[in-house]
Amino acid sequence: MTSAPHIAVIGGGSTGTGIARDLAMRGLDVTLVEQGNLTHGTTGRMHGLLHSGGRYAVSDQASAEECIEENRVLRDIASHCVEMTGGLFVKRPEDSEEYFQKKLSGCEACGIPAEVISGEEARKMEPHLATDIDKAISVPDGAVDPFRLVVANAASAQEHGARIETHSKVTDLLVEDGEVVGVEVEHDSGTGERVHGRTGGTEEIRTDYVVNATGAWAGRIGDMAGLDIEVRPSKGVMTIMNVRQVDTVINRCKPKGDADIIVPHETTAILGTTDEEVDDPEDYPEKQWEVDMMIDTLKELVPMLDEARTIRSFWGVRPLYEPPDVGSDDPTDITRDYFLLDHEERDSLGGMVSIVGGKFTTYRMMGEEISDHVCGKFGIDADCRTADVPLPGSEDFTVLRDYMDEFGLQSPIGRRSVERLGSRAEEVLQTDGPNPVVCGCEGVTRAEIQDAIEGSGSDLNAVRLRTRASMGNCQGGFCCHRMANELHTEYDESTTRAAWDELLQERWKGQRHALWGEQLSQAMLNYALQATTQNRDNDPAEDDSIDFAAFDSGPEDVEVVSDASVAADGGYDGN
Amino acid sequence: MSDAESPPEFDPEAPNTGEDFEPVDVFPDSDDFDLRPGADSCYKCSTCDTNCPVAEVDDEFPGPKFQGPEQWRLKQSEEDYDVDDSVMDCSNCMRCDNACPSGVPLSQMHNTARGEYVSEQMSKFSVEYWRNRILSNYRTSAWLASKMPRVANAAMNFGPARWVMEKTMGITSEREFPAFATETFREWWRAEGGAAGSRERAVASRERRGEDPDADKKVAYFHGCYSNYNTPEVGKAMVRVYEHFGYEVVVPEQKCSGTPMFANGMLDDARRHAEANISSMADLVEQGYDAIASCTSCSMALRQEYPELFDIDGVDEVSSHTFESLEYLRIHEDVRDELGAADVDGELAREFAYHAPCHARNQGLNNQAVELFRDVEGVGIEDVGDSCSGISGTYGWKSEKYDKSMEIGAEMFEHMEDADGKTGMTECPTCAMQMEHGTGYDIRHPLELLEAALVE
Ligand SMILES: Cc1cc2nc3c(=O)[nH]c(=O)nc-3n(C[C@H](O)[C@H](O)[C@H](O)COP(=O)(O)OP(=O)(O)OC[C@H]3O[C@@H](n4cnc5c(N)ncnc54)[C@H](O)[C@@H]3O)c2cc1C
Repeated sequence: MTSAPHIAVIGGGSTGTGIARDLAMRGLDVTLVEQGNLTHGTTGRMHGLLHSGGRYAVSDQASAEECIEENRVLRDIASHCVEMTGGLFVKRPEDSEEYFQKKLSGCEACGIPAEVISGEEARKMEPHLATDIDKAISVPDGAVDPFRLVVANAASAQEHGARIETHSKVTDLLVEDGEVVGVEVEHDSGTGERVHGRTGGTEEIRTDYVVNATGAWAGRIGDMAGLDIEVRPSKGVMTIMNVRQVDTVINRCKPKGDADIIVPHETTAILGTTDEEVDDPEDYPEKQWEVDMMIDTLKELVPMLDEARTIRSFWGVRPLYEPPDVGSDDPTDITRDYFLLDHEERDSLGGMVSIVGGKFTTYRMMGEEISDHVCGKFGIDADCRTADVPLPGSEDFTVLRDYMDEFGLQSPIGRRSVERLGSRAEEVLQTDGPNPVVCGCEGVTRAEIQDAIEGSGSDLNAVRLRTRASMGNCQGGFCCHRMANELHTEYDESTTRAAWDELLQERWKGQRHALWGEQLSQAMLNYALQATTQNRDNDPAEDDSIDFAAFDSGPEDVEVVSDASVAADGGYDGN
Repeated sequence: MSDAESPPEFDPEAPNTGEDFEPVDVFPDSDDFDLRPGADSCYKCSTCDTNCPVAEVDDEFPGPKFQGPEQWRLKQSEEDYDVDDSVMDCSNCMRCDNACPSGVPLSQMHNTARGEYVSEQMSKFSVEYWRNRILSNYRTSAWLASKMPRVANAAMNFGPARWVMEKTMGITSEREFPAFATETFREWWRAEGGAAGSRERAVASRERRGEDPDADKKVAYFHGCYSNYNTPEVGKAMVRVYEHFGYEVVVPEQKCSGTPMFANGMLDDARRHAEANISSMADLVEQGYDAIASCTSCSMALRQEYPELFDIDGVDEVSSHTFESLEYLRIHEDVRDELGAADVDGELAREFAYHAPCHARNQGLNNQAVELFRDVEGVGIEDVGDSCSGISGTYGWKSEKYDKSMEIGAEMFEHMEDADGKTGMTECPTCAMQMEHGTGYDIRHPLELLEAALVE
């Protein structure tokens, strides 16, 4: 198609990448711009629940029905991002029986498979559940990895010809004759994959249509063209436990409230959350009491949380939207549904649509609706195929077991790698060279790191999101420098140093709210290691790069110590 | 919220399994424990890896940190998550437990993972499985051999037979099987009048010592397989020394402690034996007996491994009333004082090269023999250092492990040769085999020396 319309999608979260994939698959010419990494926004700071719809089965049945529909689709097209853990709505003795029954009938009304099980049965499934849980409703909740899913969407969009620009911020909308005709973008480091230190620049991207998928930031994009988009950002806190105390999603069966859900996520379990309106999606208070409150409340469901180790906490902002005439006071009352705002209709400004609200779970459906809308504008008749065509990594993924032995990895590491990579495992892990483990906590090998670097340049935070390296219990204490080392020889020393610093800072940031008990010990050890062995407390080479040529090449005749003299206590004995 | 404190002083009543961590019995009546929460105590410092003797000589072995907290943390749902086969290369010396500054239940994690590996992933038709099963059920072979010890001694070390064992079973022919005694300890014990005889002798001792003849001093002896079938002199020394201090000894029904079974992942076998041992010990403990072992691995099994791995009625009571033989006497009697007045002459008036077994180290017992004997007239004792002997029970008996076992032991051999004494001493029977194998020295148990010093 030579005359395919050129569409700019602003926002590299689940919504934006989902739209980009859909449009690209329908043959449109797509450019996606994202100010940070993919998932830089809310998508990278959410709970990881693949909703069954159960949570909305009483209060918001329209959302609930969308959830169960998309839940089924994602299991299929994104199998390598989804773990079907199942979920429970558990009832404590003091929780209302009436609400329990409402939840059950609500699930039935929305077509969500739901079944009541006894407290005993629930504890058989989840031995760490409190002994006084009365009973539970089991539903098909799941866990989903937002990073992998978004990266896979972007990769698929790219395969279909889309241009994906990360670290590229939209600074203005180009408006001519009452119509948006493009965006002005500031690239942090030039176009293409990110390289630290490469000079960026401004680019005007002229397009036929703009899709504003900036979630909580949608109002800001609107401002650029004088539009009023009333997004009401609402923050929520999440706390990551070091290990999985539960293998099933545990919801509290109560009308609404803070701290009522535990989601198993990869090697961890994530506690959540709260709901509080904020003014600025990028700048809002993060308070320790929010974390404490969550542990204190959720230990009523899983008592061992009280003593368990947390490795970090983070906050996200929901891009809630409600039509101006509703006027809810409490953000928990705002619908979780999404809205498509056609600015031509709404504000008489052509050339742009905004999508606001919604959930991660329904990102694909939102993408489909927007893409239908865009295609309609251009009279294009192309079917949506995103519900049927699996994402890269989820194609033909039936032989997980057979894969692992071939890569010569220790079983849990091989298993983890294959689960993360899905059907790409073979292509990524089949290497000729040595393939040591770079991150021991999460079981990530060099081959996977190298694959991620290929995809995201020198941006080690993006490598982290793709692989989970540095996201385990040492929070990068033992692997950040190894990850940085993997940038060599592709990238030079100063690039590597900048990338390493950025990763370290990001890793420290999230631990601020976890510094007690074991994680404090961990942080002390990390600090000592990074300061004493890596000069991270005060590096004399920080500003100038090191003149490696100034070093001599060492003594001429170094004697190689033979194996035989290795002493069993770890030292070399004798001389 | 727990604070990772400095490691607590060794407390023989509470195995160090990490502070607030209670593994959950996932399915009651099974041995499946969810040990993932144990990873909370690990901050990856790798001290365990640097203390692992196997990792030192075996580059393929990923080490205790991976085997334990990392592997457990990476495990997901119960089913369908393989345990890495490298867990079979761990020798279960348990030095990692001792090395960990943060109370990670490493050996429990290894034992549990190994059990899972053997029951779910290892072929029950493989030579390795049967070889390991035979090695770990040493008690059964020993029981058979004890029926005709002379024939067994000849047959077991008969060259062609050993060649066949090596070839078909993977049991190294480098080592000589230990000799079986012509009279087992239990046979001797019965001949000595059993519990009633012991009671009489204990009462006589109390009178001689000026103690209350009715004093409540009674112990149940867990002799283990080795001092029953191979070195009854150790068992006899235990009885004589304890009676000397006025203790009545009983020798309850018992099976293997399970140590070799843990090391080979044969947890079903181990559980059966543990149940028998707990059942006979628990009754005695209730009646006021303490359980005494002369083998440091046996005491380790009863006090630490049983409660960590099995949920058996009475397991905690037995655990908290189990002691090693010298340890117990040092707690309750002024042994040093008596030794101060003693003088050893005769056969054991020698210099000893003492090796502390890894499992003794874990119970805080690594200095006890040297502390006891260093000032005794007529003998000398020297610690040969803190390296591992390398045999670790059945580990060094496997053909594919033999070289590594000897490599680990090299430091100990060298230090033994540098020591003044040309006789070895240790509490552990398999360490003794290795010491003898590496140096040719005669190896004795501290109880034998205590007997020589104190018992007329
Ligand atoms: C605490 C919390 C928990 C949640 N848990 C769940 C859950 O368990 N399950 C679920 O289904 N949903 C959950 N959600 C909702 C879900 O996370 C969001 O609905 C979804 O991620 C929104 O995705 P998005 O792409 O619309 O927005 P975002 O992910 O925020 O994407 C918008 C992107 O636009 C970019 N952007 C903004 N301005 C510009 C600019 N000027 N130029 C370029 N780029 C720009 C941002 O950097 C951002 O990356 C949760 C939300 C929160 C807050």
